[in-house]
Amino acid sequence: MNRLLSSLRDGKGFDIVLVTVPLLFLIALSGLPLIYNVVMSFQEVDMFSLGTFARPWVGFKNYIAVFSAPETWPIMRNTAVFVVCSIAGQFLLGFGLALFFTQKFPGASYIRGLFLASWVMPGLVVGAIWNWILAGDFGVLNYVLKSIGIISENIFWRSDTNWSLWAVIIANIWLGTAFNMILLAVGLAGIPRDLYEAAELDGANGWQRFWTITLPMMRATIGAVISLGLIFTLQQFDLFAAITSGGPANSSNVAQYWAWEQSFRQYDFAKGSTISVVMIAVVMIASVIYVRSTRHEVRG
Amino acid sequence: MTIRFGLVGAIALATTSLLTLGPAMAQDEVTITIWSLDDANQPALNLAREFDEQEPGIKVEYREIQFDDVVSEAMRAFATGQAPDIIAVDNPEHALFAARGAFLDITDKIANSDVIDPANYFPGPLNSVTWDGKLYGVPKATNTIALYYNKDLYAKAGITEPPKTWDELVEVSRKLNDPANNVYGLAFSAKANEEGTFQFLPWAQMGGGGYDNINAPGAVKALEIWKTILDEKLASPDTLTRGQWDSTGTFNSGNAAQVISGPWELNRMLEEAKFDWGVALLPTETEGGTRSSAMGDFNWAIFASTQHPDEAFKALEYFASQDDRLFPEFGQLPARSDVALPETGVALKDAALKVFLEQLQYAQARGPHPEWPKISKAIQDAIQQALTGQASPQAALDQAAATIDGILGQ
Repeated sequence: MNRLLSSLRDGKGFDIVLVTVPLLFLIALSGLPLIYNVVMSFQEVDMFSLGTFARPWVGFKNYIAVFSAPETWPIMRNTAVFVVCSIAGQFLLGFGLALFFTQKFPGASYIRGLFLASWVMPGLVVGAIWNWILAGDFGVLNYVLKSIGIISENIFWRSDTNWSLWAVIIANIWLGTAFNMILLAVGLAGIPRDLYEAAELDGANGWQRFWTITLPMMRATIGAVISLGLIFTLQQFDLFAAITSGGPANSSNVAQYWAWEQSFRQYDFAKGSTISVVMIAVVMIASVIYVRSTRHEVRG
Repeated sequence: MTIRFGLVGAIALATTSLLTLGPAMAQDEVTITIWSLDDANQPALNLAREFDEQEPGIKVEYREIQFDDVVSEAMRAFATGQAPDIIAVDNPEHALFAARGAFLDITDKIANSDVIDPANYFPGPLNSVTWDGKLYGVPKATNTIALYYNKDLYAKAGITEPPKTWDELVEVSRKLNDPANNVYGLAFSAKANEEGTFQFLPWAQMGGGGYDNINAPGAVKALEIWKTILDEKLASPDTLTRGQWDSTGTFNSGNAAQVISGPWELNRMLEEAKFDWGVALLPTETEGGTRSSAMGDFNWAIFASTQHPDEAFKALEYFASQDDRLFPEFGQLPARSDVALPETGVALKDAALKVFLEQLQYAQARGPHPEWPKISKAIQDAIQQALTGQASPQAALDQAAATIDGILGQ
């Protein structure tokens, strides 16, 4: 008894407890729902069979239905465009800002902190604000673009099929830039100063220092930021709900919003879970990349 | 953990002490649960309270649920055997539950009731609680849509009376359209949710179509008219993504000369609109042609799983007996033709009400069909594809008809 207690306090028992608690937590809150979701995607589920496990098994019927629907490929294409453009925009702007704020100028750290305001705001609020900015008839953005002569006619950001997806991408870039900036700024701060001093003595200019020191040293951070960006972007739901609702005519619909629409608007839970299983597969790949990129960091 | 157990313990203690302290009758007291989206300013909560007070043997537990959660909450509760006794459900979703046996068949109870007489109800709302010839609920209230118009802008454009036909509507909208002053001729909603279906279906029905015949020539013509209105920018392109409430907002601010919407706008319009306005019946396809309109609002239903069907029905009887208070106290329209609505004394409102009551005669239920959300989605997709130019109105509605036929099993 005593040995067990002391092992619990300081020993193998303690290690096991440390591992078990988060593991149980993960299984209960992530693992089981995930498995449940996968199971549902192979069943016929409607609202009246939601409460039971014993539902008719339909094999790959849901997957066939999803992949043969005419809207599937446009939605997948939208998802890809949304993810790639959002991440690219967030990352480039975030990296630019992070580099800018590593310059020592008065108030740099305070102003950098203020940028986080966008990340703190709930997506629905951000969506509502961008709704006003992007409004067609009386939107701020149209007013600005018109005033400086870039456009002559109002762009209906939310209602024009050519622009609706971009409306959400713009809002999402604004939302995610600060998060990218902070993570990248932390990475930048971790690069030893003496590397730069040595390079400077060797006569390397700023551009060379950036390519040969900053970027290689930031490899792990960049990998993590982009993987996290992929996950956050694939999770982005609020902005779609608030700005375009996936419309018009699915022109701004993406997989995550579609899955929700299927489950909670059409009450076709099986199809909704099928779409999310496909997305899980994508996120899994991103997670593997993320884990691999952070492993370097730990050993480093 | 201890805090939580402590709390639970305290609650348990409090409940037992309450029970023992309460009147001896408490043992025979029956509890019925009512779910509805009404808050303190709306009828259900108030009526439920009154019913609770006047029935010593019945205790009422009321839960307010959000509009978006009504169906999913109800489904989950029913699936896990925790459904309430009574629920207020949006009328197009009534059949979803009725067809699956989730709602109690109250045909016989209504036949024996002194309070509820189906003959008193408008046909549209009554149809929405009917499935397979049986009654599965009682209409709670009703609403419909008509054409609001800005009389000042009409006078400015030299228009003397509101349009009677679709072509006239387009004509009038062209005259009223004034981009230089940020005024659109018309506002309505073609949003890709139930609101889009709610607004389009009456047009399809006026054109001789319906949800089960959505590509009828008249329905195609209706969608072509909608497309003309949007292509010529007689209505804001945001019509595609804006709901009825926001569209009417542009009318109230003078940025649209006409709007198609319902009586739920009246109070706000009285407050916001700084001009003279009126309401007209929805224009028909041809002069004197078939009329139709949308039918909105909720129905009462009793869940089949209830332990107290008689008490629950008694509650519905009480609610129905108070229908004459719906309009004066809560601004809602009773779904009945035998309830006279008193004058409010506000001229604009009383005039509008007359039109809405006439329009209600033509209001048709959406469905009823247990797969309504899917049918509605097919219609919304067609509207959006046609209006964004991805498909012609004919092709879009043909596609919708094929999808709907698949759902209807034809």
